[in-house]
Amino acid sequence: MKRLTRLVFAALALALAACTSGMRHAAPAGCRPPIYPDYTGVTIPTGIAPLDFALPGADRLEIRITAPDGTALRNRGKSCTRLPIRKWKALLERSVGDSLRVEVAGRIDGTWKSFDSFGIFVSPDPIDYGLNYRLIAPGYEIYSHMGIYERELGSFRQKGLLENTQFDGCVNCHAYNRGNPDAFSLHIRGDHGATLLQVNGEMAAYNTKTDSTLGFCVYPYWHPTGKYIAYSTNNTRQGFHVQPDKIIEVFDLDSDLQVYDVEHNQIITAPQIKRKGIWESFPAFSPDGRTLYFTAAREVQIPGELPQSQYNLLKVSFDPETGTIGQDVETVVDAVSMGKSLTFPKPSYDGKYLMFTLCDYGTFSIWHHESDLWLLDLETGKTRPMDEVNSPDTDSYHNWSSNSRWFVFSSRRDDGSYTRPYIAHFDANGVAGKPFMLPQRDPVHYYLKLYRSYNVPEFVTGPVPLDRIRAQRLIDAPERVPFGFRWSD
Amino acid sequence: MTRSHRLTGAAMTLLTGIVLYGFFALKYPYHLHFQEQYQLFEGTWDYFRTVAAVPGGFADWLGRFFTQFCYYAPAGAAILAVLLCGVQWLTWAVCRRRTLVVYALSFLPVVPLAAFYCDESALMGGAVALALSLGAAALCTRISRNLPRSIVEAVLIPILYLACGPIAVVFVLIALIDALVRERLRAWPAAVVFPVLTVLCPLVANHLVAYPLARLATGVHYYRLHNFLPGMLWISAICAVLAVAFSYLPMKERPAKRQLFPGIGLFLAIAALGAVLVGRSADWNKEEWMRYDFMVRMNMWNRIMMQADRKNPDNPTTVSCLNLALAKTGRMEDHQFDYFQNGPDGLLPEFIRTFTGPVSTGEIYWHLGMVNTAQRFAFEAQEAIPDFQKSARCYQRLVETNIINGDLDVARKYLSTLENTLFYRRWARETRALLDAGKIFESRPELARAKDLRLKEHDFLFSDTEMDSMLGLLYVENPDNGMALQYLLSWCLLKKDLDRFVEVIQLLEAPQMPKSYQEALLLRWVLTHNDFEGIPAYLSPAYIQRISQFINDARADASEETMRRKYGDTYWFYYYYRYRTQPQ
Repeated sequence: MKRLTRLVFAALALALAACTSGMRHAAPAGCRPPIYPDYTGVTIPTGIAPLDFALPGADRLEIRITAPDGTALRNRGKSCTRLPIRKWKALLERSVGDSLRVEVAGRIDGTWKSFDSFGIFVSPDPIDYGLNYRLIAPGYEIYSHMGIYERELGSFRQKGLLENTQFDGCVNCHAYNRGNPDAFSLHIRGDHGATLLQVNGEMAAYNTKTDSTLGFCVYPYWHPTGKYIAYSTNNTRQGFHVQPDKIIEVFDLDSDLQVYDVEHNQIITAPQIKRKGIWESFPAFSPDGRTLYFTAAREVQIPGELPQSQYNLLKVSFDPETGTIGQDVETVVDAVSMGKSLTFPKPSYDGKYLMFTLCDYGTFSIWHHESDLWLLDLETGKTRPMDEVNSPDTDSYHNWSSNSRWFVFSSRRDDGSYTRPYIAHFDANGVAGKPFMLPQRDPVHYYLKLYRSYNVPEFVTGPVPLDRIRAQRLIDAPERVPFGFRWSD
Repeated sequence: MTRSHRLTGAAMTLLTGIVLYGFFALKYPYHLHFQEQYQLFEGTWDYFRTVAAVPGGFADWLGRFFTQFCYYAPAGAAILAVLLCGVQWLTWAVCRRRTLVVYALSFLPVVPLAAFYCDESALMGGAVALALSLGAAALCTRISRNLPRSIVEAVLIPILYLACGPIAVVFVLIALIDALVRERLRAWPAAVVFPVLTVLCPLVANHLVAYPLARLATGVHYYRLHNFLPGMLWISAICAVLAVAFSYLPMKERPAKRQLFPGIGLFLAIAALGAVLVGRSADWNKEEWMRYDFMVRMNMWNRIMMQADRKNPDNPTTVSCLNLALAKTGRMEDHQFDYFQNGPDGLLPEFIRTFTGPVSTGEIYWHLGMVNTAQRFAFEAQEAIPDFQKSARCYQRLVETNIINGDLDVARKYLSTLENTLFYRRWARETRALLDAGKIFESRPELARAKDLRLKEHDFLFSDTEMDSMLGLLYVENPDNGMALQYLLSWCLLKKDLDRFVEVIQLLEAPQMPKSYQEALLLRWVLTHNDFEGIPAYLSPAYIQRISQFINDARADASEETMRRKYGDTYWFYYYYRYRTQPQ
């Protein structure tokens, strides 16, 4: 009996020893932990899900996150942390306007190592409810399983809004009016092609091609009043490079701009945004709704002169009362003189800045490894590269949060092929914080096993009330509401 | 049943199994390889969870599990034979009357099921779902007390719908038949509740998963193609129910002796029906094409030519496989026109948006050194798989192209998935180890070769219409790429562009004059000269004599068949009688 008792005690002692904190006895590594995703020094909002991370090479992981008031959250894991959501949120609430201190220790090759602690700044600026994005394989012409998904930023919940398991076709270019989930435009391509518009809970499927316009509507941008949507219409083709550093090219053979009048179901356009020999694309309204920004390039011979296809940022006035497009087109950013091409102009909703992407040529910056985010100060007219967020790989499609204090962009910095969403803080002085990758419960496993790219990430201020079954019926039905047409006065 | 009847029944099942195995293993094995290469079964919980989350998902998961063994066709054939015999045995297990005739009747669902699996889009999950539904019915009929049985059956209906999909209706119908026969009018609660539950299942599922109601009601993963009702599978399900229903009919039992011949006769009749149906359902052209594709995948160049010698391939894909084999064995220049050719599409087929064509065409670009194009074709083929599965074969190619392109993180990503498979794990682990050790190109000469052959200086956008320029650049950048030159010359010949052919042949430093080239040059001479005076000495007099005969016969209005018999192995015959897109 005594022997058994001793054995039990020995086993308990062993178990206790195993449970003893590795952090306490760890040898200092003398460097910051090489965690994945890299959350060191990032700025986060209070409403974000736990930033779980992994320490590559470690088979045991221990972390301690300390709030400024000394409250600590400890967590252990085999290869990845698993921070409890409630405790994480409480910790964030205690740290608003200050930094969390994160200490990390890991058992690497049987030896515990403790790394230099790092900070995570908790911004007082709130972030929107969630993100909407398309998940699609970074392919060429053909698509497998894809869809539009909604991710709640405060948790790890993701739900499919519309997937191509429901119908034959592809979903793309979803757009909300400043993140308002009640009004959206969504394109469906393929045999059941349509544009789904939902306004005030009413959804309808439209045929956006008219006899007077080039083709279907592409690249939507809502007018702040919700009465108009600016679209481009593009005659697009794809090409495939033979060189290893380039893969896919998408280019226009022609493109124009148009504004859709939601109330009167009419496309409005004007000769100054439908010029012959000029390719206009990527429209975006200013926050006051009185200016329409867009990109434009001189027509070139495709594919021979594709590297000379470069776009500038232009603007034209717009009168929302009458739906009139102004006469004078003005160049805002001369990217061509920089030897670059400008895509995706997105004004901040406070009207102070405009973010865009610069790449070497063309419109498909999302597949150009040299693509970077740039910022235009609308008050001074000065532009600058956003070095605080850019990476050596593709940093492209971006969107502002409804309060303009956060922006999301897609980047291929992770592996050069699959785009992942990164969120960055943007302060009142126009400086961005270090971006952080969209948190996942087990980020290594999740992103390693995800064979789809995040495409067109958009902030939404609440859950999108999309009736999936009704949408499917509308898509499958042959009826389409035709767009009307009128020239701008 | 008497012992002799039981033995007779067992012999029927055994015979059926052997015949099915023999058919799929020996006559139809490439369909099994085809099935395997368009899926990627991972032995992980995540994979199971993803597949099983859809109605019918569990059966689909089991079907995919079995399908992975089709990597070895005999193993796949054995599994399929067991599965089909299992459906027969389970049908029999549900039958009430235990006579040899009923036993023979239980083979009825096997007939359409065997025909179903002659279709390359038929997924094994369908038969698994049918077997599971019949198995559940067999278990429930063992419950003797009515109320508990009805409760278990009611609970099982949604569970089976989730596991097997709408084919679970077989279970419902058998349960209803059983209840009505046992309880008659007292079975009305089951007669109301079971159909209601059956109808409710897809309606509820429609709100939970992103599939249209029609697919939830007819099956999501029984068939690879969308919006296509797998008729043979449903006929098989109906046959199973009819066989069971027959066994419930009140009939006068015949003496055992008088059952033997009707039983055997019925079995033979069903077997004959099966032979006819399978014969009509088997697509031998596709089997041939799949065979070529398999041999290309396995680099069986000599076997391809042996196969072509037995039967000349005659569609662009099989001809392109043969041409690849000819090029890989250095026989293209002399023997290409010994075989049927019908235009440049048989050399480099155009890209088509399907999951089948680009796979074997991508192999040609891979061997030519057009790495990005090979990557695109593998990626696109995989994306085009209609049921959204992935392909282990395509993943392997994507690993290779990404390694050559220097995208090692992406290559490792694909490897991580292949490491979860049964038959590709070893290859993936070895590849990862070589990558980590930095010895991948030393240990995998085919990768080093493709890296050497690929274009490095010129960039352009791939174009089907400028194939000759692309092949020319491949050769100009790397004169060791003899295959690119062979393909370029062959491209010119197949397009009947003799001027371009003459331009290209001058790229050869010391002109070699294989048969096809001599024939082409002679033809051009004839088309541009009045006689053979001054003809280059490297053109053989024997060929000159033969083309003279060809001209004479052609002028004498010899029939095409005569010309084919006499000159079918010449470029001249191809030039005048094949690929007639333009007036000659």
